[in-house]
Amino acid sequence: MSLDHDLRVIRATAGNDIRVALTDRLFFLTGLIIPFNFLLVFILFAFSGGLAPTAVVMEDNGPLAQQFVATMRNSHSFRIHVTDAARAQREIEAGGIVAVVTIPPRFDSDLQSGRRVELPVMVNNLQTDFTNDIRRAIPLAITNFYAAAYPDQVVVRTREVDVQAHDTDYVPYLAVSVVVAAVLITGILQGAIVAAREYETHTIKELMLSPAPRWALAAGKVIGTLTLNMVAVVLVTLVVVFLVGARPTHPIELIGLALLTMAASVAIGILAGSLLRRRQAAIPLSIGITLPLFFMSGPFGPANWLGPVAGAIAFASPMFYAIEAFQHAFHGYQTAQPSLTADVVVLVGFAVVSVLATSWVLSRVRVDH
Amino acid sequence: MTDYAIELTGVSKRFGNFTAVSDLTLRVAQGEIFGLLGPNGSGKTTTINMVGGLSQPSSGQVSVLGHDMASDSRSMRRSLGSVPQETALYEELSAEANLRFHADLFDVARHGLEQRMTHLLELVGLQDRRRSRVSTYSGGMKRRLALARALLHDPELLYLDEPTLGVDVQSRRALWDYILDLKQQGKTALITTNYLEEANALCDRIAILDHGKLVAEDTPSNLKRKYGDTVIDLVLEPWPEPELILQLRKLTGVADVTHADGVIKVTVEGEHSVAGEVVTLVTRQSRLVGINQHQPNLEEVFLSLTGRGLRD
Repeated sequence: MSLDHDLRVIRATAGNDIRVALTDRLFFLTGLIIPFNFLLVFILFAFSGGLAPTAVVMEDNGPLAQQFVATMRNSHSFRIHVTDAARAQREIEAGGIVAVVTIPPRFDSDLQSGRRVELPVMVNNLQTDFTNDIRRAIPLAITNFYAAAYPDQVVVRTREVDVQAHDTDYVPYLAVSVVVAAVLITGILQGAIVAAREYETHTIKELMLSPAPRWALAAGKVIGTLTLNMVAVVLVTLVVVFLVGARPTHPIELIGLALLTMAASVAIGILAGSLLRRRQAAIPLSIGITLPLFFMSGPFGPANWLGPVAGAIAFASPMFYAIEAFQHAFHGYQTAQPSLTADVVVLVGFAVVSVLATSWVLSRVRVDH
Repeated sequence: MTDYAIELTGVSKRFGNFTAVSDLTLRVAQGEIFGLLGPNGSGKTTTINMVGGLSQPSSGQVSVLGHDMASDSRSMRRSLGSVPQETALYEELSAEANLRFHADLFDVARHGLEQRMTHLLELVGLQDRRRSRVSTYSGGMKRRLALARALLHDPELLYLDEPTLGVDVQSRRALWDYILDLKQQGKTALITTNYLEEANALCDRIAILDHGKLVAEDTPSNLKRKYGDTVIDLVLEPWPEPELILQLRKLTGVADVTHADGVIKVTVEGEHSVAGEVVTLVTRQSRLVGINQHQPNLEEVFLSLTGRGLRD
């Protein structure tokens, strides 16, 4: 037994897994479809949930009326289009829009003469999420409009102090979490498939009957699967960078973190596959466990905002640390308390512990007849 | 260095309440081809897995080439070659890729590896198909490749679990030739098989297992002599008095005597040698026109030791 043999085993195991996986359609379907589905679903979710489609009927086109509609547009709450009353009625009845806001006749003149103006708002109160968005956003738009149009009359002002150096749009923020989910879920799944396949095809006997060190077999599997996983991760990241527009502030850091997170997730997957021994069990279980962990690990905002229980669970998940670290690489900020160093240490820990646990599991493999 | 390649001493293997192997003691000498026979579920594969370190005995000791498999199995694996029942080949890959991976796992020297692979593939008749995917191979070709792979790291001891299961007659004969060649090279082989003809053709000694217990162990010829029935056909002229049948039945070792179509059939149990007494007795009363003796075969031995009941 020598270091040369150990390295030879690592390289051979990685190469063997890559060659076998290249013939496996299921492996590639899992590796590509799942992360892209994830990306698509969350981006659609973000777009559909973020802005309420709203029709504005302009019965007065004066400068104040125009200014009010502009304030509504800038409120980040509406997706506005201007139309006539009849078409707006048809659209709301057909379920195509959430609300119709009508700028009444004489809007400008009534305001200028100090008369009360009533703004007709028709709401499709199908579900309270969008309804409440409308109920909150229109009074806010009125306030903002009034403060802008009559600065002398509105004397209370907010003085915002930003914690972060810049604002980040919701979709680029969410897209970073989706990249992490793609890395972790596909890594765990592909790792589990690679390990479970050895048991299903009985090739585990070839590995177990060899004098190869178990840790080297586990490490080789991590490297091989990580290499395969890289294709999906690079593609998803390119889509997020170039189509979604989330540009990494620290690109080198992003590459390092992506490799580290892939290593951790693949190692966890290989451990799961070695324990479960069947792809049929490993695939649904991997998805079933990682999905709730993803939602608890702060994809939409820091995990602590979800409350103490979810926050505590998130702290035990590698996804939490990965999301934090990726947000730093993309947007340059820390979303929660631990530092980037702590995130990296935890991810390295997950990878190392999983490889060691897998080698222990492999050393305990027994064939029962 | 011990004289024995494999020593099992009081080995038992239990899975919960089920005892797969019970208090098994076996010794396989260096350079011997040793067969493990038994019906399905008799404990053959469990035994071979314990020898390969794939399964730990619940009690007892397994020693291979003088090393205790419980504490020293990793270092021993380089000296062991195995042909598992399932072949354990990467079917998506070529024969060549399978052999290269095996060479890496077993740290076979890179220098001369190509020639050794070519030699082994030629030996098992797969040189022409070395770059084909294993999934396109027949069952016999896969078994031959598994044997070539097992030999790649030049092991001292080979164990083969049902090496010819499901292969055609030609492949079976070819595999037998390779296994017999191993003996010429001084290698030890442990074989499990359901085929009695195979055990007879290959093995120096055989152990018959049933319900996890050793029921017999010896050379094939000794087993046949001990446990098989010899049948002596006698043609007499004139036809003797019925009294002769009764006298023949009284001879020690005679299990049965029947007569039909002018032939008396005397069935002799196991190791008893009564042919001389039978001839003496019949020639006192009649003239012996013809005599024919059928030796027992291993199948009769196997059935007499393990019964005729069907096994799962």
